[in-house]
Amino acid sequence: MTTDATAAPSNAALELQHLNVTFGRNVGLRDLSISLRHGEHLALLGPSGVGKTSLLRAIAGLSSVDGGRVVVEGRDVTAVAAERRGVVYLHQSPALFPHLSVLDNVGFPLEVRGVSRRESRERARALLDRVQLGACASRAPDTLSGGQRHRVALARALAAEPMVLLLDEPFAALDPELRADVRGAVFDLLRGPDTGTLTGSPVDGANRSRASNSPAVIIVTHDIDEAVALTDRVIVLLDGAVAQDAAPAELLTRPRSLSVARFLGLPNYVPGVLEANGTFTSALGSFVVDAPFFPSRTEMPSASSSVSSSASSSVSSAASSGSSQNAWLVSRADAFLVGNDVAAVRASRSDRIHSTATVIAVDERVGGTTVRVRAGDVEVTAVPERESHPTIGATVALTMFVLRTHLVADVDV
Amino acid sequence: MSAQVVAMPDPGAQSRNAASARSATVVRPPNVDQSTTGGLSATLLLAALVVISLAPLATLLMTALLPVARFPTIWTVEGDLDQVISVVTNRIVWRSMATSAMLALLTGVSATALGYLAARAIVRAGDRVRRIASAVAFLPVIAPPIALGVGVQVIALRAGLGGATSGVLLAHVVPATGYVTLFLLGVLRTYDHRMEEEARSLGASPWQVFVRVTIPALTSPLVVAIALGALVSWGQLALTLLVGGGAVRTLPVELLAFVRAGDDRLGAAAALLLTVPPAIAFGFLRTGARQTGAIT
Repeated sequence: MTTDATAAPSNAALELQHLNVTFGRNVGLRDLSISLRHGEHLALLGPSGVGKTSLLRAIAGLSSVDGGRVVVEGRDVTAVAAERRGVVYLHQSPALFPHLSVLDNVGFPLEVRGVSRRESRERARALLDRVQLGACASRAPDTLSGGQRHRVALARALAAEPMVLLLDEPFAALDPELRADVRGAVFDLLRGPDTGTLTGSPVDGANRSRASNSPAVIIVTHDIDEAVALTDRVIVLLDGAVAQDAAPAELLTRPRSLSVARFLGLPNYVPGVLEANGTFTSALGSFVVDAPFFPSRTEMPSASSSVSSSASSSVSSAASSGSSQNAWLVSRADAFLVGNDVAAVRASRSDRIHSTATVIAVDERVGGTTVRVRAGDVEVTAVPERESHPTIGATVALTMFVLRTHLVADVDV
Repeated sequence: MSAQVVAMPDPGAQSRNAASARSATVVRPPNVDQSTTGGLSATLLLAALVVISLAPLATLLMTALLPVARFPTIWTVEGDLDQVISVVTNRIVWRSMATSAMLALLTGVSATALGYLAARAIVRAGDRVRRIASAVAFLPVIAPPIALGVGVQVIALRAGLGGATSGVLLAHVVPATGYVTLFLLGVLRTYDHRMEEEARSLGASPWQVFVRVTIPALTSPLVVAIALGALVSWGQLALTLLVGGGAVRTLPVELLAFVRAGDDRLGAAAALLLTVPPAIAFGFLRTGARQTGAIT
């Protein structure tokens, strides 16, 4: 029996140690090890069915695990009941109690822990004020709008003073306008300086009188932009395992594998060969990649640090072992620029490669325009130069900014 | 009819007018006579329904409270008030009614407790188990009471409960649980179980979840379930006689005895008393269901 067994001392709010989670007939998640600090916000990204929700439910104690341990603040809670884990799980759409007023919904976690009704209501009212719903305290939950219900659910979750807060696609059910509004409000609240002490003195003060008592937050989402915009860290789950664990900016610029790049929806994939000396050759030209090539390397090489410094790379073994290997250059659209002035195409440099291309599609969107071009056998998506208005079929100047590209191994193809 | 008028005037122009006749037939406005006939039919049908539904009750009322009429008179207002009082104050009637009420209440509560647990387990079970369990829950409802009664009688006798009120209670609980389970299955399928999970996650123990979330959220359906179980017991005759062996005197059992003995007045009084509580309960439940949005 591991109940309440004390794990190794740790400053982490949550640690998953070699966790195995199966669900339905799916293989599930295998040997998952993740650690979260207090106040850290982590996004879990992954395709439908990969087990994101199952993982959250397992952490919350709402479903069992098939192996490994869930450790909250150094305490092994793998076999501890859900209500004694210090972990609050919020469903996709708010599950407010219809028979209680908004105020009593928020006060619920306090009352079940033995706080007097009067005090719990006072503290609930303070939390409702924090989510700008103080005026709705006496209303029934079903009279609230979707966004208001989300905010009440969050206030209620914070009333429980959790060490870990799990949000399962919290904004998925909201329409786009409301979504932006609510998620902004939610994360402002979560990032507040006094998060976790919103309700005054903690009930079980011994556990909570720590310097950093903001809950660690895990948010499951399908929305990559949401994950990147709202969290400090993103974990991509693919095929039952962690495919990448990175800061948001790094994830988008340096996907660890072709699978991750494809999952993220990066638009550009250029096949090529990476020689042992670090030269990457593709239909768009050649450039030299910084060597040696360690997949764990996270710093973007600076153009000024070395003449040959250029693209980052997650390709390692072949290049460092002395043989050439197939690799893919992947990037966002902003690694490529198209301009009208074909005559101005210059010789390539170490950090940029110039060529000509033919426009095959122009995609006008709210966020800006992108242009799909073909250069030889390769198609890439690029952004147009200011003042340039590419038309389909036109020949344009294509510039690839090597520093904005990334190389991944060919293993996932 | 207006179409025929358009088509008829000139036989020589029949072919010429055929098209207009057809089109006139198509665009003919609603026939006023037909709608009037329809309204009349509906009124008559409604009146027939009211008569069919209320006539037996009215007869019961008059038979119980008014002197026995002699043919060809169906009823008369002349009579002895003492006779009416003797019916209203009849101890056998009231004692049996109290027994029936107690059995109904206990049956309703027991069946609801069992039915809730069964329905909850079925709803949460896997697809295959759910299908089988749902079918099993139907059995006590499908089986004729007399057939069910024979089986329950054997069990009750072997358990030493033959002729005992507890044995009759057991017998009533069997079909009542079937009805209540089916009813609660429907309720729990639409019930938001996530509330309970979230309550656990927010720090509530299973008992706190049950008392503070489940029961309050399901109050209306549970009251309806208790009433449903009680109604199954209230009108039960076959099972009461089979298992109670005539020793447990419920209102239906006494009613049967009155009728067999030719005491129409007491029989009618018992029948009325058997009818009124369910009618009141039905009205109450209907109001409750409307308030919760179950019916409109």
